[in-house]
Amino acid sequence: MTRSRSDDNSALLVHAYLDGELDPANALSVAQQIDKEPALAAEAERVKALQQSIRERLPREEAPPGLRSRIEASVGGLRRDRTGPSWRALAASIALTAIVTSSSTWFMAGSQQQPTMIGDVLVSDHIRALMAPEPVDVISSDRHTVKPWFNGRITSAPRVVDLAKEDFTLIGGRVDVVDRTPVSTLVYRRAKHLISLTAIPAESRFELDKSPRTVSGYNVVQWVENGVSYWAISDLEAKQLEDFARLFRTSKTEL
Amino acid sequence: MSVISLQTKTRPIEAERPTMRLVASNPPELVSGLDDNARFRSIVMPHIDEAYRLAQWLTGNRTDAEDVVQDASIRAFRAIRNFAGGSARSWVLSIVRNTAYSWLRKNRPAEVVTVEDLEAVELQQVNPGDRSSGTPEAALIAKTDAEQLRAAIAALPSPFRETLVLRDIEGLDYREIAQATEVPIGTVMSRLARARHRLIATIGKE
Repeated sequence: MTRSRSDDNSALLVHAYLDGELDPANALSVAQQIDKEPALAAEAERVKALQQSIRERLPREEAPPGLRSRIEASVGGLRRDRTGPSWRALAASIALTAIVTSSSTWFMAGSQQQPTMIGDVLVSDHIRALMAPEPVDVISSDRHTVKPWFNGRITSAPRVVDLAKEDFTLIGGRVDVVDRTPVSTLVYRRAKHLISLTAIPAESRFELDKSPRTVSGYNVVQWVENGVSYWAISDLEAKQLEDFARLFRTSKTEL
Repeated sequence: MSVISLQTKTRPIEAERPTMRLVASNPPELVSGLDDNARFRSIVMPHIDEAYRLAQWLTGNRTDAEDVVQDASIRAFRAIRNFAGGSARSWVLSIVRNTAYSWLRKNRPAEVVTVEDLEAVELQQVNPGDRSSGTPEAALIAKTDAEQLRAAIAALPSPFRETLVLRDIEGLDYREIAQATEVPIGTVMSRLARARHRLIATIGKE
């Protein structure tokens, strides 16, 4: 065993890179390492060759024709386990767990416990919105409706863009409160995933904590533009969330 | 702009906070109005092919795979209200996997590989992915035939085999694999790398 820990880590990162699991910054750095180090380049070539062989040579066999009907027949006469939690009980436990595990800082906000972590607060808001009957207070896919709705509710007009063509549908907006300051949150949808995009004026008094990688399993992308700190939070894959952030920044379809 | 995708080994993962994932997507209200049979049809039935293939890789043959999938379906039906969102595929596959291991423990206890066994094997062996010697060229790997590949995958210890199958055959992402196999993402990464190194080494010997 002569490999050092850092060699092992580089090898793992090469695999993660080839699997598309790295964020752009890490992907770039791994790509550069591969270029520089022949050993890593060879590793990458071998893994690619292996993946290609598996893809091409091992056909994905379908379940035999009778299996589905046998399953339906065997399940048809059953009742689900009544001792299991009902959905309502489960929902209550989800709510409780969400509060207990992820938003202690949210509850502590304003207390002396520790500085408020914006990422935690916003993920809590996102989770709470998912549990609410509607994740938004104004429901509209029309940015000309959503943007004016914020008038009088927050002190600045948020940037609202239309990304429907890129498959991110605007579904509306809501006001979140971060450290007692109302801020605008736009909600976009891709497939079944919701994205909460919160804009926080950078002159507000709280410190920007170092952007977390994930909070409670949610991906968080953060950037600052024109004096506004943007936070995108979603259970969408990090790569897609990053695409969303890039499209939002570069979109010309602004009101 | 900073972005996150990769969770590190030490970071808590979904497996430790299953309820958090439940909220993440597929809001429960989408299926809560359905009766159990309708839920089963929308959550489990779309993944029978994947379930069957995973069961086949874990049990090693078609007949046993069918039994495992049928048994897993019954378990899934009984627990159907515990599914409240997230990846249905990961949820179904985790049940198939657990059913397959119960089945193996009962019918072929000698084949069940525990994590402790695995660590012992790892310690004894020089890592087959060692780059210093004996690793075949990519061109040789590209020429492997189906039978060789199948046999090499079948020979992997099951924790490596299931991880590789879910990624390189079924195309799940790391997060889904972590959910399905109930381990942290860091473990998924290292198992996957080891599984691939072993396959490459096996192919090189032939």
